[in-house]
Amino acid sequence: MRPSGGRRPVRAKGPTRGLTVTSGSSTPALALDVRKRLGGLDLDAGFDADRDVLVLFGPSGSGKTTLLNMIAGLVQPDHGEIVLDGQVAFRRADTGRSVDVPARHRGIGFVMQQYALFPHMTALENVAYPLGRAPDRLTRAARLLELLGMQSHAGHRPAQLSGGQQQRVALARALAAERRILLLDEPFAALDAPLRERLQADLRRLRQELDLTIILVTHHLEDAFAIGDRLAVLSEGRIAQVGPVGDVFRRPATRGVAEIMGIRNLLSARVVAVGQAGLVLDWDGLQLRLPPDSNLSEGDDVTVYIRPDDVKIVYPDRPSSEAVAHNVFDARVTAHLESAASRVLRVELGNGQEVEVRFPALSYRPIPLEPGAVVRVALRREGLAVLQSVHRA
Amino acid sequence: MSPLQLSGLVTVVATTAIVAVGVPLAWLLARQRLPGGVLIETLILLPLVLPPSVVGYYLLMGLGEAGPLAAVGVRLLFTWQGAAVASAVVGLPLLVKSGKAAFASVDAALEDAARVCGSSEWEVFTRVTLPLARRGLAAGVVLAAARAFGEFGATLMVAGSIPGRTQTLPLAIYDAVQAGRYADAHTLVLLTSVLAFLSLLLVARLERDSVMVRPHPVMPRGGP
Repeated sequence: MRPSGGRRPVRAKGPTRGLTVTSGSSTPALALDVRKRLGGLDLDAGFDADRDVLVLFGPSGSGKTTLLNMIAGLVQPDHGEIVLDGQVAFRRADTGRSVDVPARHRGIGFVMQQYALFPHMTALENVAYPLGRAPDRLTRAARLLELLGMQSHAGHRPAQLSGGQQQRVALARALAAERRILLLDEPFAALDAPLRERLQADLRRLRQELDLTIILVTHHLEDAFAIGDRLAVLSEGRIAQVGPVGDVFRRPATRGVAEIMGIRNLLSARVVAVGQAGLVLDWDGLQLRLPPDSNLSEGDDVTVYIRPDDVKIVYPDRPSSEAVAHNVFDARVTAHLESAASRVLRVELGNGQEVEVRFPALSYRPIPLEPGAVVRVALRREGLAVLQSVHRA
Repeated sequence: MSPLQLSGLVTVVATTAIVAVGVPLAWLLARQRLPGGVLIETLILLPLVLPPSVVGYYLLMGLGEAGPLAAVGVRLLFTWQGAAVASAVVGLPLLVKSGKAAFASVDAALEDAARVCGSSEWEVFTRVTLPLARRGLAAGVVLAAARAFGEFGATLMVAGSIPGRTQTLPLAIYDAVQAGRYADAHTLVLLTSVLAFLSLLLVARLERDSVMVRPHPVMPRGGP
């Protein structure tokens, strides 16, 4: 999980905070910086969010749910501070007054894992629950159910509802008290693909309409792309990287982040030449040419990443284009996978390393690509990225 | 008062006391990490396994002239109130045991959800915990009441068997048999048996229903 070479994964705190993209207001809707020791996990994370969707992404046991519980006031950090809408909701430090606002006063909407609907109440009663004794509680709850297309199930108990219906009731309940901060813990986990997409669309619409700040925990990258504005990658209790979803995916800061996100084609190489013309790396005997990078010096061990789409097959009988001008190697196809829209090859290069190649299903039709076939591949120079820690970027 | 009336009075008073003490106690034992919780629970359950004469002996000491209650002027020995105390002490463990199980079966995530929804701890208890535990609690109350109704040994030691004043149904049966009044004994035994049978039937119903009220797992792959 650690990057090779001397680079250390970033502690989320100071340096990463500087990279968060918020909408610019001086007091974000949510800011936290907390520590907690919890069994084998040493949680130490900080981030803020303001009227956007921040996706907490990471393997199970990385502390995602605990972070949500801390924001909601259900779990106490050992140390740190949580600020909601400019108000300190929790503070415990070596000096100064401690603050711990109870969960009921934090003004948070929370869709918990498995939804936690009250089984002895109907859908309508569940949604009306946070409205207390307000005289119009049932009308307001009914309107929310309608907003989520659940009005015909108002009288049903949770046990009579499907997973997707329960999810929507839970979402309506979380929205009922007109909370501005919404926490969602694996909200799509039990749903099949079409329903998942529909609910993601619902959520995008509600975020716009109600001007919400949403923190969403998931371990499905698809969820992050579908509704996330920013992505925070959590690894062993630390935030390894945070930034706009596309950026984090295209430019993972460390090998650890790339591996957590399931990114292929991580190459371990050593810098052999630096200069104006670009970098030259030695990758187990093959020379890789990259654009210049002033942060590196000769002898550095680096992890290099290339998206499978940036690995090109070279037509043997055509003049080489710019895209395949560099890093052209002989390779042997070891596996061939096909999906509806694209094909994925695994090829083994002369140095014994494998890379993944992805291309549209109709490309390279004249070239035989069955396993065992010998091809030439080009690792696009501009597509090769040295993963670096955020603080050095 | 007739033995049936006395038994009714003793049972109602004892059951009220059992509910007042037992429900909070069961909740504490199920939900809070009390210091010495295991010890407290063991002490409360002790009357389940001790011979009634031993329980009666302790009560005799506690309620007697040398006991703490007499010191403040409360004298319960050989009164129906004393019989109620004995019944409450032997009935309490049954409510605490099934009440603790009922509270423990309530998913703590539901209580957390209620807190996030803005509920105070009291509202969490009355609107979520109690309704979800109520079948199991009711079963515990019925069992405890039935046990209180049938109390014999400890009652005999604390309240005696004074006809019209402390002679409850079980004591009256013993008395009738001792005196050879078998016709009376037959009637009373039949009455007691029917009541006991009906209360067990009620418990079985409550326990079956409580299974159906438990939180349901999320159904995966559900369509809209």
